[in-house]
Amino acid sequence: MSVPLSQMWTVATYVLGQRLRGRRRYPLVLMLEPLFRCNLACAGCGKIQYPAHILKKHLTVEQCLAAVEECGAPMISIPGGEPLMYPEIGRLVQELVDRKKYVYLCTNALLLREKLAEAIFTPSKYLSFSIHMDGLRKEHDDAVCRDGVYDDAADAIRDSLSRGFRVTSNTTLFDGANPLRVREFFDAMMDLGVEGMMLSPGYSYSKAPDQEHFLRRQRTRELFASILDSPKKRWRFNQSPLFLQFLMGKRDFECTPWGNPTYNMFGWQRPCYLLQEGYARTFAELMETTRWERYGRKSGNEKCQDCMVHCGYEPSAVQATFTSLVGFRDTVIATVSGRL
Amino acid sequence: MIEPGTLEGWAPSAASGDEFQHVVDLAFDYRGDVTVELSDGAERTGYVFNRDAEGTEPFLEMFETVGGPPERIRYADVRTIRFTGKDTAAGKSYAAWLERKTRAEADSAAADA
Repeated sequence: MSVPLSQMWTVATYVLGQRLRGRRRYPLVLMLEPLFRCNLACAGCGKIQYPAHILKKHLTVEQCLAAVEECGAPMISIPGGEPLMYPEIGRLVQELVDRKKYVYLCTNALLLREKLAEAIFTPSKYLSFSIHMDGLRKEHDDAVCRDGVYDDAADAIRDSLSRGFRVTSNTTLFDGANPLRVREFFDAMMDLGVEGMMLSPGYSYSKAPDQEHFLRRQRTRELFASILDSPKKRWRFNQSPLFLQFLMGKRDFECTPWGNPTYNMFGWQRPCYLLQEGYARTFAELMETTRWERYGRKSGNEKCQDCMVHCGYEPSAVQATFTSLVGFRDTVIATVSGRL
Repeated sequence: MIEPGTLEGWAPSAASGDEFQHVVDLAFDYRGDVTVELSDGAERTGYVFNRDAEGTEPFLEMFETVGGPPERIRYADVRTIRFTGKDTAAGKSYAAWLERKTRAEADSAAADA
């Protein structure tokens, strides 16, 4: 596993601090979406299908920082849309780094080399470029509906690493993924030199146009079990090993929908990053007025039954690590041994 | 051309109760602009991004196409909602893209032969 010790320490002390304060629900990663505009139009993505006047809008840096303060999460993920199309992305990232927030800038990397050449980012332990890579060349280019994107992203990874930036890859695996090809893809990412990989199964967004293509729960377990069986020592993952074991069907968790709250131009999204059932004006309103009992598998909510996505279950895995001796022990064993 | 199955162009007549709530929910799910007809005869055109039917004063929220901050409109002030804008989600499925790509590859192979 490849999460740096300083980041692990920050998360551990944050989680324990929340527990000591008696907070039952607390955020771990803020999903900050400054805009919905994107320079790709991936068929599986329901995030960018808005009228032009919405796509032209974006949050101000001040609105973003106010959301960060309000939320208080130690880690900020900046997806979108394509965050490198946000006109003030350099200033936003620097402000977050100055606040000692761990930032994952989730990008398709098409604009990354241009932005690196403009020197709008400074290498920092708090900043990681999280490059969208859904597989080897053919699989990735198919997933993003454009040829040549894999090669551009690979070049951007090399460029970022040579300039001293932290780089991770983020991968969504869809129904029909070939486990052997995915294992080859892990090798390719390690060859490129990424610090760690992040994985998640796809989800059938209620508004996604590709619902029938996303993984169902059982097939998810089978797929991840075959991909991650006998993991190679050289593979590094930038996520909780307990979450990976959950994906493999080796342990079970309930969803933590408030773990990765989402903020965008519409407000605080209810109830989670994937479901879009309404918006609250403040983070406090989101936490206090969302009917959380309606979500997660135990709730019986049909939309949650097949979901195993990172935004709901990785916070559960992190919580398991830091709130039980068994969870902590299992995390340490998996981290040290590399076995899942 | 209007995509089959889309609500684009739909103009339901005034409704109330559950039927009205259903129209609001459809407008909230719709990935295009709508025109909200108010009971005083005024109209607002834009994107409905939020609605809350469970509070004491049910409301919807929209960004108008003319710009400005989001507007909150009480259900009680709405006569009906017309689906006047283009459905931006229509025809964007992965299957449709794959079909287009396969067809283009076949055409290219046929041209090379």
